[in-house]
Amino acid sequence: MSDEPQNIMNEPELEAADPKLLSEQLAAAERQRDEYLAGWQRAKADFLNYKKEEMARLQDAIKYGSEDLVKDLISVLDNFDLALRSLERSGPVEKGIYLIRSQIEDILKKRGLARMEIKPGDPFDPATMEAMTETPSDLPPGTVAEEIEPGYRLHEKVLRASRVILSKQKEGSD
Amino acid sequence: MSKIIGIDLGTTNSAVAVMEGGEPKILENAEGNRTTPSIAAASKTGERLVGLLAKRQSVTNPKNTIFSVKRLIGRKFSDPEVTRDKAWLPYDIQASPTGGVEVKMGDKWYSPEEISAAILAKLKADAEARLGEKVEEAVITVPAYFDDSERQATKNAGEIAGLKVRRILNEPTAAALAYGMNKQKNEKIVVYDFGGGTFDISVLEVGDDTVEVKATGGDTHLGGDDFDKKIQEYLVDEYRKQEGIDISKDALALQRLKEAAEKAKHELSTAMETEINLPYISSDANGPKHFVMKLSRAKLESLVQDYIDRSVQLTKETVTSPAPKGAGYQISDINEVILVGGQTRMPAMVDAVRKLFGKDPHQGINPDEVVAQGAAVQAGILQGDVKDILLLDVTPLSLSIETYGGVATPMIPKNTTVPTAKTQTFSTAADNQTSVEVHIVQGERPMAADNKTLARFILDGIPPSPRGLPQIEVAFDIDANGILNVSAKDKGTGKMQSVKIQASTNLSKEDIEKMKQEAAAHAAEDEKKKELIEARNQAESSLYIAEKAMKDAGEKLPADVKTGVDAKIEDLKKVKDGDDATAIRAAMESLSAEIQKIGQAVYNKENGGQNPDDGAGPEQTEPEPHQPDQN
Repeated sequence: MSDEPQNIMNEPELEAADPKLLSEQLAAAERQRDEYLAGWQRAKADFLNYKKEEMARLQDAIKYGSEDLVKDLISVLDNFDLALRSLERSGPVEKGIYLIRSQIEDILKKRGLARMEIKPGDPFDPATMEAMTETPSDLPPGTVAEEIEPGYRLHEKVLRASRVILSKQKEGSD
Repeated sequence: MSKIIGIDLGTTNSAVAVMEGGEPKILENAEGNRTTPSIAAASKTGERLVGLLAKRQSVTNPKNTIFSVKRLIGRKFSDPEVTRDKAWLPYDIQASPTGGVEVKMGDKWYSPEEISAAILAKLKADAEARLGEKVEEAVITVPAYFDDSERQATKNAGEIAGLKVRRILNEPTAAALAYGMNKQKNEKIVVYDFGGGTFDISVLEVGDDTVEVKATGGDTHLGGDDFDKKIQEYLVDEYRKQEGIDISKDALALQRLKEAAEKAKHELSTAMETEINLPYISSDANGPKHFVMKLSRAKLESLVQDYIDRSVQLTKETVTSPAPKGAGYQISDINEVILVGGQTRMPAMVDAVRKLFGKDPHQGINPDEVVAQGAAVQAGILQGDVKDILLLDVTPLSLSIETYGGVATPMIPKNTTVPTAKTQTFSTAADNQTSVEVHIVQGERPMAADNKTLARFILDGIPPSPRGLPQIEVAFDIDANGILNVSAKDKGTGKMQSVKIQASTNLSKEDIEKMKQEAAAHAAEDEKKKELIEARNQAESSLYIAEKAMKDAGEKLPADVKTGVDAKIEDLKKVKDGDDATAIRAAMESLSAEIQKIGQAVYNKENGGQNPDDGAGPEQTEPEPHQPDQN
């Protein structure tokens, strides 16, 4: 019942309005609509991306949360090895000492630490190794002559590169 | 449009940042580090290496490992600086056919631009991997003293790396941008940048959206590396004195010592003393030798005091000398001081700067990353990110509803960005309660009465039922204009009431401050009050549970148990309305212990005395009244 009078009231008004003005207003409104829609879509996308990144970051934080501690403990492990080597030189070493060492290593392994296996003659790979110096040897030049400190990975990340001495040609051998 | 990245192309290290959500964010490289060594190399197998990988082979391949190329870029071979650097840089340097500089890497000669381009290309590739999209444009920073030729060469390096360089930005300006100082009018800013290998001092003046470099100074061959070297030399000397062993010839020992020296330096920024502990560093005829030495902050400071004094002297000269040598200002003219570079973490250095200017320098942003962050801010301005930030309001104070005992239960905590909505389900406090009053308050005080009332309304027509059973869903919804809609709906009948509150966010600053101060001033007493109310509420619940259990057990209950529980109920009722929360809790606990006997008694009867331990009372599944269920 109330619809009809409204229609009657509205139509003359519409006709009276300047069509040019109306189309300008429409264009402005459409522009604004597009701008708002774009802003809203962008904000929504930003939020979703942020959420995804935060989740990934959180997982990383959990995965690599112990990185600093593990890194510090590696140097304890290094020193343990230096101590063992020194003890071995002066005679047989109590088996328990080796067990303690493997206990520490096991704990770190469970947290994602893995020692990188490197042997003499391996090609030098700067992604996992750090060259400390060179020494003349029979191995091909530029390959690993000796590993002086082991390298470790924590999950996929190289936590510490292996420190290696590279082989160089013996003098007068070519 | 792809993102524009900000690059701090440093002499020793570089960093990349990008604007994200209106904030600059450092992008990690492929190796998972936030900075990348500015080093490129041709490995012995002919491979091109950049960054950390190039650094790892630098010792055995010094001739083909190019570092500090920023010292050469855009310069003439005849430049005295080049002559000076040529003397100590281990790689070959020669004049190019046009009088510029060329460096040899592998068996080819390269311009410094090409080496910088190799570094930029890695930064670009790593940034793309992090962002998951192509990067085509960048803002690159250079020292404020770089001339046109050095700036053009840096720009060319970017283009060679496939980057459209939108702006070459001064490093100190970038630092000021990172601290948001571009908005301040007529400020005089000093940027004290103590990097790994260079010390730069810049005096800036911020005008109408412009940052003008008034003077630059410093020492291109003074940096944090000198500090490390000093500490290392000291340690080697001390060890020689103590043990008679020179470890400077042992590559591994020296490397371990170098790392320990750096670590000690970092630790002494926060600790007063540190111990350098390197077991089995060496050995002699008597067996293995260890390195154990304490290093105090005072000792470290005495080792490097000359460097710090020199930097302060240079700063003073740059600020006060008349133009063109300096800015011609008084020290007291300087409004802000910004610290850049990792070495500025050293407390003695901060103190020296503070003493010179008589004010606290800015050091809130990681000094290794502040320039890259500022470059990202500039990139954001160029991209339109910063200008077009949609400003969203936050709720200045918490919005809560009053729950049983007059407690204000927060629905929307303060500082929540609006628009936002929150729904929580509440229940009734008494049996057969047919209406609830929703009282909406604003403020930080724990008791509703102490906060500002925004509105109240009543939702009635709730069917009579035991307390805790009806589910009343209360929804708060604030739109971007701060208009708050609150509705309460009985989930059982679907009956709903709501209220609209205009302008819940536009309190005056003074009002907000006053309300916050009041909350802080009354924090301790409010906490006590709240504790008391909570104890009373819990006492009510306990009484309800106990009385219900007694009723349910009815005749089955032995007389002694009944008398015992009744006595405890009376005890609790006596203290319940008093002001002693501890007494209420004590009475509650003894009642709770007593009512367990009801269950035991009931079970003993039903099971003929077996399994008394399993006798949990039927009231255990009773929903806790007034505990809102999170939706």
